[in-house]
Amino acid sequence: MLGHILGRLGQALLVMLVMSALVFVGVYAIGNPIDVLIGPDVSQDIRLDTIARYGLDQPLYVQYFTFLGRILQGDFGRSFVFGMPVLDLILSRLPATLELTLAAVCGAALIGIPAGIYAGYRPDGLAAKAIMTISILGFSVPTFWIGLVLIIAFAVELQWLPAGGRGETFAVFGVEWSFLTANGLSHLLLPAANLAFFKLALMTRLARAGTREAMLSDTVKFARAAGLSEWTVLRRHVLRLIAIPLVTVFGLEFASTLAFAVVTETIFSWPGIGKLIIDSITSLDRPVMVAYLMLVSFVFIMINFLVDLAYVGLDPRLRRAGSR
Amino acid sequence: MSAEALPLLQVTDLATWFHARAGVVKAVDGVSFSLKRGEVMGLVGESGSGKSITGFSIIGLLDLPGRIERGSIKLEGRELVGLPPGELRAIRGKAISMVFQDPMMTLNPMLTIGDQIGLALEAHESVSGAEKRRRSIAALAQVRIPEPDIKIDFYPHQFSGGMRQRVAIAIALLHRPRLIICDEPTTALDVSIQAEILAEMKELVAELGTALIWISHDLATVASIADHVCVMRYGKIVEAGPVLQVLTRPQHPYTQGLLDSLPSRAKPGAMLARGAGTDAAPPPRLPRQAESGRRSADLPYVVIENVAKRFQRKSGVLRLLAQKAGLAGPLPLVQAVDAVSLSIARGEALGLVGESGSGKSTLGRMVAGIYAPDSGHVLLDGERVMSEGEAPHKITTRIQTIFQDPFASLNPRMRIGDSISEGPLAHGLVGRAEAVTYVAQWLAAVGLDPAFAGRYPHQFSGGQRQRVAIARALAMQPDVVVCDEPVASLDVSIQAQIINLLIRLRQELGLTLLFISHDLSVVRHLCDRVAIMHRGRIVESGPAGEVYDNPRDDYTKRLLAAVPVLPVA
Repeated sequence: MLGHILGRLGQALLVMLVMSALVFVGVYAIGNPIDVLIGPDVSQDIRLDTIARYGLDQPLYVQYFTFLGRILQGDFGRSFVFGMPVLDLILSRLPATLELTLAAVCGAALIGIPAGIYAGYRPDGLAAKAIMTISILGFSVPTFWIGLVLIIAFAVELQWLPAGGRGETFAVFGVEWSFLTANGLSHLLLPAANLAFFKLALMTRLARAGTREAMLSDTVKFARAAGLSEWTVLRRHVLRLIAIPLVTVFGLEFASTLAFAVVTETIFSWPGIGKLIIDSITSLDRPVMVAYLMLVSFVFIMINFLVDLAYVGLDPRLRRAGSR
Repeated sequence: MSAEALPLLQVTDLATWFHARAGVVKAVDGVSFSLKRGEVMGLVGESGSGKSITGFSIIGLLDLPGRIERGSIKLEGRELVGLPPGELRAIRGKAISMVFQDPMMTLNPMLTIGDQIGLALEAHESVSGAEKRRRSIAALAQVRIPEPDIKIDFYPHQFSGGMRQRVAIAIALLHRPRLIICDEPTTALDVSIQAEILAEMKELVAELGTALIWISHDLATVASIADHVCVMRYGKIVEAGPVLQVLTRPQHPYTQGLLDSLPSRAKPGAMLARGAGTDAAPPPRLPRQAESGRRSADLPYVVIENVAKRFQRKSGVLRLLAQKAGLAGPLPLVQAVDAVSLSIARGEALGLVGESGSGKSTLGRMVAGIYAPDSGHVLLDGERVMSEGEAPHKITTRIQTIFQDPFASLNPRMRIGDSISEGPLAHGLVGRAEAVTYVAQWLAAVGLDPAFAGRYPHQFSGGQRQRVAIARALAMQPDVVVCDEPVASLDVSIQAQIINLLIRLRQELGLTLLFISHDLSVVRHLCDRVAIMHRGRIVESGPAGEVYDNPRDDYTKRLLAAVPVLPVA
């Protein structure tokens, strides 16, 4: 088991290294940040001085190794635009996106999985058909449009919830969280619902397909023959049998939402990293872009790793190979 | 009438129908029988006879669109048909329980044995955690699982097939039910395990006074456990009575036919009574150049010399690095076949018998040129079956294979005519112009309508598909055919037809056979010589009659003793 974990960590490091090279070359080969940073009317001396200060006069590979060396010391450089360390900048925005993403993905799982199991358990019932119709909407209607409709319905017409912004926050260990205040929660609700809609549809469909299959399995037949109640069969047998694909999608959706919540964050003016990255792309703020992309790949690798660990926790058959 | 005088189970005119869109399937149609306390009843029939559906109807577990149409099922006088789901659930596992065919599928792979027994306990009683564990361990001990206090924390995949079935039986016995329905409980198991489970089941039932309905396609296992037997066909019971009477003096022609289909009751090599088929001759074969160029007349026709095969799990890059660095040991090897030498004479049929995991299929695949042996070689007529060198491949068409499951071995998206002609066309055995006639001749030779050439595999029944697979193998005009369990998944009457077909084609074409099977009676019927395989080695070989009547090896003796036998009139 330990060997398995170490192996995966080794793979993760390798992927991060490749990713850093790709990101660095990709981002540094586009455009010239000097043109954005300083006006065209400054003197040549200042211009050269600025280039040298950011290390842009060095060959690309030297810049890359300098960059790698700094990263290993936890220094992602300073933002060209904000003039502050990139890591601080990203970390100040991360909690906002993290809580939005967690609310969306967990909400989708907590509603979608039971709904899907029910739809798979009674596939011919009216409720199942209603659930499946809604899930088709969740797949096919674009996220931005749902966001706008939510704002019009709940913020403009009914005026139950605010239309945007993050609201009041409460600091825990120096990190600002909005879900701890009523005002913050009311701000969180609409964007989270907006983000959750697609995931809800996905979880519902997966849970339904798995349940339909599991209900026909001999395992369920045998459990019923032993007199187990339907509720016990669903909770103890079916849920375990369908868990692996659900955990996979949960992990993937969590990672991709964390990284690409851009549209929703823009619509609801949510001050998360999605908005930060869009802003830094328009202003060619290279260190922020690079650090952000590195962070995203790190998040993906870590979540995949956790999903793998969850597999091993869920399916005892996977434990055998690793533990020997 | 007092409760004691009532039969335990009284089924009267039971009809269970499936209302599908295509029409009504009358799976069970007017079945009546009764069962006394502690009695063991066999329910015998071929697939589709309605025997399993009868079992599911009794325990109230019909899948939609199945429905009990009419009739009554009375347990100790209490009507079960029409009971609300909650009351049926209270009966399931408590008064009636059920054991299924494949214990790998019935136990939940994600939960420990203890959890699963616990869930079944809680279904009918409220028990504390400690009590639950104590009783689960006792339940495992009752079905003779060694070290039950340790095994209770195991997962199903850590058990062998027989042990898994014991766990399922332990769950079924948990609440001391008055009736257990066993649906083909030993079909997925090896003969020796089957014999153990049969013996233990008989003891347990006698000890606890539980009545048993033993559903099976296998007359011999039923004969060894049941007091009474009902023979089912097309949803109806065609014959019922005491086991001895039904099996030795069958009254109904269907029962007689079933018994006559069994190779164990026929003279070895004779056509089985039930397997009447067509007699169209196969197409003439091309003369072979190889016949003349035989290297050595002294060598037997097929020589298997010191052949060995190991399997190893693929290891990843990191594992390889770790092994190089001495941090991790090599992955365990499985020695599937361990230095086996055999020979087959021209025109001979050699039976290769063994239980699952004995390496018989692996050996067969090496003979057929599908797997390359790690060491040793296979010669046909003095020539190598596989090329030498780094990446050995099959270099002869003279050996062909018939597999167990034709549904898996035939391409589902290819018309069967194309499947049959594909090989012969590629090897120039037949021209494109004559291919259609060639396929038609082969279909006729295996007893199929030549018009079927345009159909796809799913449009055939299991027996017909196996005929297609035989035609496909023989259309390559082989001299040697490796048959890997070709009748294992077929009903007895279909099995008889396929056996007859193989006997006839072997005579007409002068084929040499390597016949792999776990079924000793089929091998005895078809083969001249037999080799018994155990853990990758041949433990005994010789003329079939000699090995069966006078086994010398201990393993062979045990294997032969484990086979249930039919009572003889």
